[in-house]
Amino acid sequence: MSITLEQVTKRYQGQPVVNDVSLEVAEGEFFVLLGPSGSGKSTLLRAIAGLVDIQHGGIALHGSDVTHVGVRERGVGFVFQNYALFRHLSIADNIEFALRVRRMKSADRRARRKELLKLVALEGMDDRLPSQLSGGQQQRVAVARALAHKPQVLLLDEPFGALDAKIREELRRTIRVVQRELGITTVLVTHDQEEAFALADRIGVMNLGRLLEVGEPHTLYARPATRFVATFLGAANLLLALQGPDGIRVGSTPVDATGRQAGPAAREHEVVAVLRPEEVELAADRDQLATRYVGRATVEEVQFTGALERLRLRLLDNLAAIQHGADPAEARIEATRTQPEQRALPLRPGDTVVLGARRLHVLPTPLSSFVVHADDDDTARALHADPVLATLAARMKTRVATRAGGDETAPQSAAPGVAVLATGADAPARVGQLLRAGANEVLLLTGRAELPRQLCIYWMDNAARGATLAVAASLLRHLPAEAICVSAAPAARRDARRAAALRALLDARSEARAAHALETRTELLAGEMPQALTDYLASLDTPLLVLGASNAAQATEMLEGILRKLPDVPVLLVYRETP
Amino acid sequence: MIRILLIGIALTFIGGLLFAPLAMVFVSGLEHGLGAWFHSFTDSDTGAAIRLTLLTAAIVVPLNTVFGICAAWCIAKFEFPGKSMLVTLIDLPLAVSPVVSGLIYVLMFGLQGWFGAWLQDHDISIIYAVPGIVLATMFVTFPYVARELIPLMQQMGNDEEEAAITLGAGGWFTFFHVTLPRIRWGLAYGVILCNARAMGEFGAVSVVSGHIRGLTNTMPLHIEILYQEYNYVGAFAVASLLSLLAVVTLIVKTMLEWRTGIRHH
Repeated sequence: MSITLEQVTKRYQGQPVVNDVSLEVAEGEFFVLLGPSGSGKSTLLRAIAGLVDIQHGGIALHGSDVTHVGVRERGVGFVFQNYALFRHLSIADNIEFALRVRRMKSADRRARRKELLKLVALEGMDDRLPSQLSGGQQQRVAVARALAHKPQVLLLDEPFGALDAKIREELRRTIRVVQRELGITTVLVTHDQEEAFALADRIGVMNLGRLLEVGEPHTLYARPATRFVATFLGAANLLLALQGPDGIRVGSTPVDATGRQAGPAAREHEVVAVLRPEEVELAADRDQLATRYVGRATVEEVQFTGALERLRLRLLDNLAAIQHGADPAEARIEATRTQPEQRALPLRPGDTVVLGARRLHVLPTPLSSFVVHADDDDTARALHADPVLATLAARMKTRVATRAGGDETAPQSAAPGVAVLATGADAPARVGQLLRAGANEVLLLTGRAELPRQLCIYWMDNAARGATLAVAASLLRHLPAEAICVSAAPAARRDARRAAALRALLDARSEARAAHALETRTELLAGEMPQALTDYLASLDTPLLVLGASNAAQATEMLEGILRKLPDVPVLLVYRETP
Repeated sequence: MIRILLIGIALTFIGGLLFAPLAMVFVSGLEHGLGAWFHSFTDSDTGAAIRLTLLTAAIVVPLNTVFGICAAWCIAKFEFPGKSMLVTLIDLPLAVSPVVSGLIYVLMFGLQGWFGAWLQDHDISIIYAVPGIVLATMFVTFPYVARELIPLMQQMGNDEEEAAITLGAGGWFTFFHVTLPRIRWGLAYGVILCNARAMGEFGAVSVVSGHIRGLTNTMPLHIEILYQEYNYVGAFAVASLLSLLAVVTLIVKTMLEWRTGIRHH
């Protein structure tokens, strides 16, 4: 492996900017770190170069640990967003800088410089000053300069950020050619997905300091695992679908979908499906639809963008399927059509069409939507406004429905999605009712103003482990918190239970990493549950407890024990009934 | 019309207040011809005053340059507690009256001062001697280089330095090959101002010098003495030399400004 990152964490004033990132980049690979601004991608790149020190984790280049090695000794090539050329030096001196530092002979330096200038197609520019070159040319010089000392790793921080579209494309090609020619391991940071697709062998998508998914461009586009990647890489319509024993339904219509096939439970549950705009089929009526019918819609907006036509549609039926905003009536579907499609069925705003899905991809995320359960309007409003729920709903772009009190006593009435309750003395009892009625996840909110900084993950038995980790992983993609898996064992070293608990934690950590790309810490608490857990939670700053259970009675008992001591800790209960 | 009027007022003002006195200095100095002017400098006390002024500047300017670069570097590149306090402290000599600046040293190192007894025991004289003059001048000219460099370095950022380090350069190599060339014009400007002030300082030096002819008189002090002795030609001859230095300084400064101006466009 050329670059190996092991649980790299960087905090600024206590807030993690890079959060437990582990990554391996192969020899000669072109790896692109993609993410919105503030996602921590540039910080991660600078940490690889050694320009930023990290608080936790390790960095290795070509097998040797460089975590505590200075920038100079790491010897990577680094290209800065604003070129950072030495303005007072000529192009020749800029390129020869690294060679001069290494006391190379002047004739050798010249030969190397000529070679590099040829590589970036800037022959004859030797004596110019950087200010006499265009932006694109300056960035070429920066690339040549970074390559002068033959580094084994080339790092580029948004190298095309300050350039206009045409020069960008040209420079992109140059960099790809140079990279292929030299076979140098390259990591490029960008917020532009088109750039990522054009350059990368593999892409890593970052958000809120976490590396969410890593994969080849087409895999990430066609089969994203997370909402964020689905919506950040290209446009995506997110639909709520129901997965039952006999397949996936969008509203009342069964559809074909890729992604998750076998559900964990026999009973029907809600899933999130991705419908790309180009996979939306539009027809005048149902009979002309070549694919599965999703619903009827009116055209709201038609935008001509050259090769493609972009449409915004409002669904007239099957409203339950849409989950863009909290209000289903506000939800829109985006579609794009090619020229032949436009000619076959010209559309104008106001027209009514039927809508089909050519290809639907179900996300493996366990959290689909939220349902607030409240006895009165005030409680409902308070729960809707709770920062945890509001943040999650906004970042997951999902729906928050409301259910009036009393309903959950009726059998089979637990609505799909995460049930949301206000914490309180009667909470454990109500949770019990919800679980019996078929709820899989229950979120207990306290109205605390801060978002959780730590996610404390604890499963009461191993049957619930997989689901608990999956839910925690999903949650962490939307909340910038640290993940800590806990278990408890008596303090005595010799105790066999201690070894077993430790092994279980390590297993869980590798499962979280392998199945959910989630990096976690582990904490083995001394003592007995639930006492050890309440003590530990009380020691944390602003925790949220993710509690996994497969026995409803035990779960409510545990909840009662924790809530009595710590009434202001929000809890997400993950319940998986053992068959 | 208004434009002409305004320009007229401005020119009259500058002419009357700035140019005429300056011209007067040269005219008075040369009143009895070039011979008398040159003759004034053959006086041994005058020679000593010139030498002392040059010596003081030669010690003070390099020290304050090094200090100014260090301070500007710290303030521009690092975050540390007490940073704004340090910035304020650097400005202190500009705010304090030069006489007070001189008195501070008398209070510290004078016979009645904190260290006075100890210094006397060890036979070290600071006040009414060259070290006192150097110290007082240093205090007064403290801020010039740092103040010039701080905004410049803050605005430049760290990019080029970071680039140099990734290319394998060490701290000194980076400083001499990257940082110093970037700040050279600002630095030169600061050094010139510092030098001008160091040579021209009167108040602070006057307090600590003791006005011993031929020993602790700098040029400005010597001019005052000559003047009070009704030696107008001598006084104005030395004054014109000092003014000449100031004029040369201003010319160099203007050239530097012109130079940096070009580099900015």
